[in-house]
Amino acid sequence: MAADLFHALLPEQLLLGLILLLMLLEICGADRRFAGLLFTLAAGAGCGVLLLQLGQGYTADVVPGEIRVDRFALLARLVILGCGVILGLCSPAASDTVKSRLLLASSLLGGLVIMVSAGFIPLFMGIEMLSLPAFALMVHGRGLSPAGEGAFKYLLMSSVASALILFGLSLAYGSTGSLAIGAFAAALPAGGPPLLVAGLLLLSGFFLKAALFPFHGWAPDAYGSARLPVTAFLASVVKGAVVLGLVRILSAASLDAETVAAVTVLSVASIFYGNVTAIRQVAFRRLLAYSSIAHAGYMMFALTDGSGGRTEALLYYVAVYAVTTIVACTCFRLLAGEGDELALLEGAFAARPVPALLLGLSALSLAGIPPLPGFLAKFFIFRAVIASGHLAPAVLAFAGSYVGVVYYLGIVLRLFRPSALPSKAKTASSPCRSWGGVLLGTAVLLLFMLVPGVFNGLA
Amino acid sequence: MSDSQAVRFPRALPAVGTLALAGSLPRILTMLVMAAVLVLSAWLFRAYDGATPLPAVNLPWIESLGVNLHLAVDGLNVYLLLLTALLFPVVLACAWRSAEARSGLYLSLLLLLEAGLLGTFLSQNLMLFFVFWEAVLIPMFILILVFGGGEARRAATAFFLYTLAGSVLLLAAVILLGVESWRQTGSWSFEFALLSRLHLGWGTELFVFAAVVLACAIKCPLFPFHSWLPLAYGEAPASGTALMAGALSKMGAFGLMKLALPLCPNVSVVLAPYLVLWAVGSILYGAVAALRQDDFRKLVAYSSLSHMGYIVLGLFSLQEAALHGALLQMLSHGVAVAGLFLVLGLLEERLGGSSRELTALATHGPRLAVVLMLFILTSVALPLTSGFTSEFLILFGAFQKALAAWRAGSGALALVAVLLATSGMVLGAGYLLRFARAILFGPARSGSRVRDLKPREALAFVPLLLLIVWIGVFPAPFMAKAQSAVTQLTQVSPLFVKGGPGGISVPQPESNPPKSPFVKGGLSSGNGGADGR
Repeated sequence: MAADLFHALLPEQLLLGLILLLMLLEICGADRRFAGLLFTLAAGAGCGVLLLQLGQGYTADVVPGEIRVDRFALLARLVILGCGVILGLCSPAASDTVKSRLLLASSLLGGLVIMVSAGFIPLFMGIEMLSLPAFALMVHGRGLSPAGEGAFKYLLMSSVASALILFGLSLAYGSTGSLAIGAFAAALPAGGPPLLVAGLLLLSGFFLKAALFPFHGWAPDAYGSARLPVTAFLASVVKGAVVLGLVRILSAASLDAETVAAVTVLSVASIFYGNVTAIRQVAFRRLLAYSSIAHAGYMMFALTDGSGGRTEALLYYVAVYAVTTIVACTCFRLLAGEGDELALLEGAFAARPVPALLLGLSALSLAGIPPLPGFLAKFFIFRAVIASGHLAPAVLAFAGSYVGVVYYLGIVLRLFRPSALPSKAKTASSPCRSWGGVLLGTAVLLLFMLVPGVFNGLA
Repeated sequence: MSDSQAVRFPRALPAVGTLALAGSLPRILTMLVMAAVLVLSAWLFRAYDGATPLPAVNLPWIESLGVNLHLAVDGLNVYLLLLTALLFPVVLACAWRSAEARSGLYLSLLLLLEAGLLGTFLSQNLMLFFVFWEAVLIPMFILILVFGGGEARRAATAFFLYTLAGSVLLLAAVILLGVESWRQTGSWSFEFALLSRLHLGWGTELFVFAAVVLACAIKCPLFPFHSWLPLAYGEAPASGTALMAGALSKMGAFGLMKLALPLCPNVSVVLAPYLVLWAVGSILYGAVAALRQDDFRKLVAYSSLSHMGYIVLGLFSLQEAALHGALLQMLSHGVAVAGLFLVLGLLEERLGGSSRELTALATHGPRLAVVLMLFILTSVALPLTSGFTSEFLILFGAFQKALAAWRAGSGALALVAVLLATSGMVLGAGYLLRFARAILFGPARSGSRVRDLKPREALAFVPLLLLIVWIGVFPAPFMAKAQSAVTQLTQVSPLFVKGGPGGISVPQPESNPPKSPFVKGGLSSGNGGADGR
């Protein structure tokens, strides 16, 4: 039992150890480069452990009814922790303090706890542990700036979401008499008004956290006011963990017809709203925010699936979307420095071909142009949806994603346009560590593209 | 195994070449890669005899969904394999001294484009086809954007967004077909061979057909969906235009042939007369619009629109000779229009902006004039050029079909349409010969000098001209390779004779369809290729 507790939760223990060490380092005032190294080592070791356990087909009921490690938990933690490693490598030296590492590690720990939870209590704890450090990360080192406003909005909306989730949980507890996720999922098809309301409240809470239209109000301000690495963190790890947390609850269970209808309407609306609004944006981070609203739409669209392909599709989607976003953000920072205007990208390809090429490819991948991994991710989602018989909403969603191509293409257009003016792309200081992150991210994306069944191969 | 290697190489080599561009002589390397692809393709073309399929590449990609990297040569793509492999080295040779050919970006885009095109034509898996079909857009988009003219940004965006619009429905249709295979066979598959054996409901088939036709009509393009064409053809660099008109537009026609006809046989048969009318409309619109152009590039662009209409006319006549004609027209039009755009590109390179006022080329640069005239003549469909063979076969077949329909009492509309299509040839002669007169003859201005064709450029045009004459004089060896595939396509029609939905009656096809007059023995009407539905 104790050995199981240690072995099954080794990545979490590693992160905890890392957090303690970082606290000590902060007190001692140690070199921050050392903190970065520690972070990468701990998270990388966690990924290694997960890969090993996947290879063994390891499963364990660590705390019955509360914590369970199964295949999904291993894969989802691998996705979250892997994003953490890439993000840690990509973050720039200037803003990279021991404190920010500490917050990043705590948030990642929250993400991991969500994925191993088999009961609602650890799940809720995980969600809070995921979000609270994120608020702090947004304002950390920013002084008096719009970042405070963005973070405050996020905090407020996030607490509303937590309240909704809690309320839903209490209703679920009232009707099933259990706080185990399995009991809720098993009772869901039976229906009944309290369970239906509980399900809807839970969904609304998660939709708010994932910034699905019309629960998206906080996202543009929060994304737009944070520093770019933090924006990347919000869009990749936080959003990914929330979506995968929802998958943890629902797993492959098909929803009832009313919920499916509501989710369909919301996701298609989200895809359209996000993509249409993004077209008018001139700032990269706000564009990313609206693009992430649209992507939340695609991810939630998978909930309408009734053919059992949801889990695989969403794991792949979240992994691809998160890594692509991180790579795109890092490349943008390499090209435009601390600036945020898309105009900074004019003619960047001529000045710095490699980051420009990667940014262009990431944008096209987010747009879903074959054969890039973003296309395959969308294909898996739409395959599940169409196989469940929702052809018309799928066609609508395709049309919405077509609208989205316009602004992603705008990025590529700016990158490649031969400009008469000397390129405005600054030669921002690019530490080789950032390059390491970009290259690792690109390698991961390449793997996803060449071997789309990679998650099947791991298990 | 060596055979399967040979099929893989035309696809793999461009990709390898892309990686090798860091070398010191990127142009030569690129040319070597393209030449190797050409040699392999020519060898495959020779080895393919129309009956026994060559060994194919078949590697799993997304195993759980039955998406395989399945590439093979068959009767439908064997011409296009040759065309694509031939056009790229020619285009690069023509652009050899230009500024863009010194850029690694340009060369890698060309190679990516070649890989994408060959992948589209050779793929035997619907999903793979779709991936390549879309992937071709990216290099072409950047090619127009970076190396295009003053309006390049608008042209590139229009090209990308228009062509992508067609794919929205196409992707839904592709996934729907996969779902159908899952429902009917219990496992996911996107293999063409399996999909064409599925029994689709009328509604599903109609949806797939509409999606495919929309996507292909934009790509070809056909008349109301052509608005990206003058812009993109006008602004792209000459090499880009040559490839777009020569090879990319064939993707649309190929898609109709590869997807619409075999996958939706019932709907195809019912809707074929309407598509014939549509194609004729496109032929006439393109011809009339070309008559009104002053700009040579735009004129050739609209003539291309008109000629693509013939291909669609041939395909949906669902008649053996017409299908042969459509296939040959793909090859012939690809060669001729690419040649025209390349010659125009050479003139622009030599004269800059003043190329539009060029006259008396026949005096200044006789070799250039001869080459240009040959390409014009094949576009006009002069007998003994490939243009004549293919357009004659198309009209011959379409006329047979229309006559049969008229005799069966389904109205004379089809007959009128075919007669109108014939007038498109006359109009074509009108605008192209006017163009030839303006540019080749006329008063020689003093002081205007044009450098004549250099040996390198002349060498580049030789294979194109040889192909034109060869098909024009002796097309039988070509047609023999496509015979079994064509027979298989025409077999789709008897499937639905029993009565269409909604009381639409389909005329009984003639029991003994007339054979093409060009074909001697060896092309019996045997149903060896008929699928055993």
